[in-house]
Amino acid sequence: MCTDAALVMDIKAGNKKALGKLVERYKKLAFRMALGLVGNKDDAYDISQEAFMRVYRSAKTYDEAQPFLPWFYTIVANLCRTWLQRRTKQESRMVGIEDASFLLVTEGTPESKLIARETIARLREALMQLPFADREIITLQHFRGMTYDEIAALLNVPRGTVMSRLYYARRKLATLMRQSDG
Amino acid sequence: MDKDLRKLLAGYVDGELTDDEREAFEKELQSSAELRAELEEFRKLKEVTGMVQYADLPDEVWESYWQSLYRKLERGIGWILLSIGTILLLGFGLYHGLHDLYIAPEVSIWVKIGVTALGGGVIFLLVSFVRERLFAYRRDRYREVTK
Repeated sequence: MCTDAALVMDIKAGNKKALGKLVERYKKLAFRMALGLVGNKDDAYDISQEAFMRVYRSAKTYDEAQPFLPWFYTIVANLCRTWLQRRTKQESRMVGIEDASFLLVTEGTPESKLIARETIARLREALMQLPFADREIITLQHFRGMTYDEIAALLNVPRGTVMSRLYYARRKLATLMRQSDG
Repeated sequence: MDKDLRKLLAGYVDGELTDDEREAFEKELQSSAELRAELEEFRKLKEVTGMVQYADLPDEVWESYWQSLYRKLERGIGWILLSIGTILLLGFGLYHGLHDLYIAPEVSIWVKIGVTALGGGVIFLLVSFVRERLFAYRRDRYREVTK
């Protein structure tokens, strides 16, 4: 199997089939990363596609000595950041996560599910009130299930920074949840 | 309380601490009620986030993902060529339409430059507007919805 770097080298040479292979490898990951950051399925889909178009157009700037995934993640995160800024300007208020972007995976009675749904609605609101960097770290750890080492490699930061960013992000999230609880 | 020790709370909840870190943290935990309360809050939060996952897209969307992306890539090049062609042709038409004005010696050079800039601006804005409208139309997910 071709390495990611080898595929990007082929893309540099204008090979669209190589891009196709890279897309097959990372399309779901790109979508989920974007969904965690922008909280809307349709926009996450568009952003993930735009990210691959950027890979195609910017392949020349890729340093093959570096791993592909952090470079690609930076593209996705930057696109999400731009999207959120534009959206915030348009709506001049916070962007809400659409209901359909979250799925309840817990088992239980109808009553317990109802309570869970209410809690999730508060979580959804609180998440989108967090600053981008906090939402990013929480999404990667909680919803992508990545280890601290994986997150550190992806964001190109020390492991200790991941831990401390997670600590502050969770504190803010817990405060927001408490506030919305009344 | 030691600030660095407090930050270990995230790693403790996620089971990401080394043995030494965990030992130091648990020692602090025994003596700090505030830290225990915070730990409890973090555990509840983890429980809540554990109840949900982000939704996926239907299989057919994933199956057509590459085709959709490929079309966008090709259309991008098409749009650039179309825009350049339109601007060149309209510019050429503008030049010929105003040819008499350009060669008339009694007309000031500033008028000629002004008219050219005005015409060029109108062409650019027109192309940009048409592109934007077409782009918005293609992205409108509710265009089939009747009022």
